Amino acid sequence: MRLSEIDRGDGLANRLLIGFISMVSGMRLPDAARVAFYHKDFFGRPMGAWTHATMRGPSSWSVAERELMAMMVAKWNACAFCVGAHGAVAAKEMTRPTVAAALADYRAAAISERLKATLGFLEKLVLRPREVTPEDARAVLGAGVGAEALTDAIAVASVFSIVTRYADALAFAMPTEAEFDRAAAMLLKRGYAS
Amino acid sequence: MRPLHRADHGALAEALRRRVLEGSGETDANLRRKVAERAAGGPPVDAAYDDLALQIATAANRVTDPQVAAAVRAAGSEKAAFEIIAAAAVGAGLLRWQLGISVVEEAANAPQ
Repeated sequence: MRLSEIDRGDGLANRLLIGFISMVSGMRLPDAARVAFYHKDFFGRPMGAWTHATMRGPSSWSVAERELMAMMVAKWNACAFCVGAHGAVAAKEMTRPTVAAALADYRAAAISERLKATLGFLEKLVLRPREVTPEDARAVLGAGVGAEALTDAIAVASVFSIVTRYADALAFAMPTEAEFDRAAAMLLKRGYAS
Repeated sequence: MRPLHRADHGALAEALRRRVLEGSGETDANLRRKVAERAAGGPPVDAAYDDLALQIATAANRVTDPQVAAAVRAAGSEKAAFEIIAAAAVGAGLLRWQLGISVVEEAANAPQ
């Protein structure tokens, strides 16, 4: 963590909260949660609101499918922390081998064709946003993905285009696989609103 | 099946944009807007922040300690530097949101 104030918490209440959650959970509170508590009125609240609605709100995509999309955005942006965090959440509801296969090559993984088509669109949007065309969107719609579902997926890609950037710019500490797994259970239960 | 009460992504994205790029903070909102535009392919900003904004936009995993330390020095505090980092990240993310929904709307509304 490059900003020590985020690491320790801004204000006594946040410091106590970070210490308390770390103690109860038996692990260091991940940096993603520390950022959510920091300068909350400026960033954590509006960012958490969009992230939570995108990842846990009503959608024709399951929570696991949205978490898998988040993991893929993290892969395309080379954000190791977010690959670990969201892969672990997806693996709670998909199998770990399916998540690993998607990470290696989503086109060959045992996931639905509509998800593969959507990931193809998201990959271009994340890596070469100015090159996406209405034809790209039409190809996804033609694969049986509704416009609302594609919009929901674009929200996932956009939210995690933000998250991955501040995670890496701030140099989030990497939890162990066991810690990611424990944090994933909390993320499934509590979501992202801060 | 169409889910009930879908998230209003447009309103949530706009609320984020307005708070981070137009709202009050330790830094000047005009600087945050320029940093966000830089991260979305816009013109260079103040030299103290330009490298960092561009790095966050193009390959945030290659941001360096000296880039962040320079932003803290120039902005005057860690909180102010955080606002710059958040603005750059939001600029890059909202670019993708706007371009993405615009092509979906065009595709969905085009006559068959």
